[in-house]
Amino acid sequence: MLTDLYRQRALIGAFANRDFATRYRSSILGWAWSLIQPLAILVVFAAVFSLVFRIQAPDLGNGEGSSYAAFLFTGLVTWNLFAGLLNLSMTQLKSNGELLKKVQFPAWAPILGASIVQLIQVLLELAVLVVMFLWLGNVGWTWVLAIPILVGTALFAQGIGLVLSIINARFGDVMYIVAVVLSALYFLTPVLYPISMVDGQNELLSLVVKLNPMSWYVESMHEVMYSLVAPPALVIAALLVGGFLTFWAGLAIFNRGSEDIGELL
Amino acid sequence: MSNPGQDLSTQLAVDIQGVGKRFKRNVDRRNSIKERIVRGRSRKPEDFWAVRDVSLQIPKGSVYGLIGHNGSGKSTLLKMIGGIYRPTEGSITTDGRVASLIELGAGFHPEMTGRENISLNGSILGMPKKEIAAVTGEIIEFSGLGDFINDPVKHYSSGMYVRLGFSVAVHMKPDVLLIDEVLAVGDEEFQRKCFDHLYALRRSGRTIIVVSHGLGQLEGLCDEIAWLEHGQMQEFGAPTTTIASYLRKVNSQEAARYPEVTAVRAEGEEARPGDQTLRVRTAAIVDTAGNPLNHTETGSTFQFRIGFTTSEPVLGPNVRIALQHESGPLVTMIGNHRLGFDLGTVSGDNVFDVALVDNPLLPGRYRVHIDVFDFTGSRLLDSWNDAVEFAVRSQSGEIGQGFVQLPAQFRLG
Repeated sequence: MLTDLYRQRALIGAFANRDFATRYRSSILGWAWSLIQPLAILVVFAAVFSLVFRIQAPDLGNGEGSSYAAFLFTGLVTWNLFAGLLNLSMTQLKSNGELLKKVQFPAWAPILGASIVQLIQVLLELAVLVVMFLWLGNVGWTWVLAIPILVGTALFAQGIGLVLSIINARFGDVMYIVAVVLSALYFLTPVLYPISMVDGQNELLSLVVKLNPMSWYVESMHEVMYSLVAPPALVIAALLVGGFLTFWAGLAIFNRGSEDIGELL
Repeated sequence: MSNPGQDLSTQLAVDIQGVGKRFKRNVDRRNSIKERIVRGRSRKPEDFWAVRDVSLQIPKGSVYGLIGHNGSGKSTLLKMIGGIYRPTEGSITTDGRVASLIELGAGFHPEMTGRENISLNGSILGMPKKEIAAVTGEIIEFSGLGDFINDPVKHYSSGMYVRLGFSVAVHMKPDVLLIDEVLAVGDEEFQRKCFDHLYALRRSGRTIIVVSHGLGQLEGLCDEIAWLEHGQMQEFGAPTTTIASYLRKVNSQEAARYPEVTAVRAEGEEARPGDQTLRVRTAAIVDTAGNPLNHTETGSTFQFRIGFTTSEPVLGPNVRIALQHESGPLVTMIGNHRLGFDLGTVSGDNVFDVALVDNPLLPGRYRVHIDVFDFTGSRLLDSWNDAVEFAVRSQSGEIGQGFVQLPAQFRLG
């Protein structure tokens, strides 16, 4: 199953190329938008949540105070990776429907192609995050651990995205349900606030936040990038393997569900 | 071409064994979860078989045509061969890479240039990158797009779009090429190029399966034709015989379906040019026994029956029947004076029967205009434009081009 992905890398690449070339083709600023958007959100959120709600970020790993903007952006990058892949994957079957109805090729190819382009966007955001931390002088070897964490996040999101795409091709409601669930999940993930803030709050709320897998990915990113603390190796391994298993299961479900995709769309 | 020492199965490009495809009727496609929950699974959707019990062996290097009415299952069969639909029962084995031209340029992205789309489309059709690069020049040349190839395809005319689509598909060197109703693309010159290319593909041992309503085109192109009806195989074999049986069925069905709709028309009381001393009342297409027809066939004798009334006896009227082809051109004008028939003095209610012996008109629709002059040919009595319209169909399967079949004779030496 996974070797199919490798064998069809040219096809996935062709779809990635198409999406890359056309993503911002009709806009003047082009790829600059991929940074303007998240940065604008960062500025607004940082202002509202640190000035109005007075959320206090934990201390930076270098021991020189704290930066809510840097804390928030670490979480945002991770969250955007997850939500971006999920949302994009979900609609790919429908947007490539005309093609899938007429030519036979693996239906996951356009989804994975679109995801590759999304990953480029995430890398750009990540570069900004790195610049931000360099400027703050908050650098550490633990940064290396961000790689397995982000790979795990991407695989986890892609696995869910594949399953949702096939369900969405059958039931058009799914994308609306997912939109609601995602926005709820966003607040139930410690992106806007440190996870310590839910301790001692409503027990159920605290439990939900802590059981939410995205909390683990985002929290681990906070640790390795912001606090410069290395989580136990087992946690990193679990995040990576968990992501991989989700992807593998998602692909298997997708293959089962997409056998008659030409008739479904 | 055939090699007797070879196993038959290795010479087949496509082997279709007892294939059937069942669709759930679209009565209620529970596409939303609410509907699923509200109605549950209790109501069983109606099934229907789009294709049933079809077996067909398509040899390598042949051109195979599929004909049938709309909804006869030919496109469904083609999609199953192309792997887009899975057969509900039976099996389809294809040998080699299958490319489908089910819709030209299906994978084109409007924002991308023609050149970028060539490489995308090639990848989707399963072609390795190197091969795509190798044929790109040929594709551009064949499409005749020139410098436009570097413009986004959204700026292309529909003709340019299909020309590029066709060029891409036929240059992908598929082992089996599936074509669904896309032969009529581009102008005359491009069409000829397409056909030349299809012949060249066939010569190089590729297999072509084509669905079309253009029976004339198919007859010239195909080695064999299969006729599907309600998803079942009616007949297959030599193009001429299969097309002939198909046309016979079409003609008789149409006659049965519209027994009352015949090519007869009675006029109203509208004002028309001419002094109306003779007024045409009805116009009809009838057979030699006088029975109304809804259509006629090339080569069979039929009659125009023109009913009229006179207000005073008319001496030697000159009746002219103009036949206009549906596409506009006037095909011919039939007049009794020119042909040397004198109708004598006519009065009261009567009819003119004008027999068209061995109908030379080729298949198509024709409009009939009737003018009646006095014996001098200078005084117009009545002029009825679009008095009646009728269809000519083919008897044999020969379609022919143009409007009439001239009584030519061929001999050697």
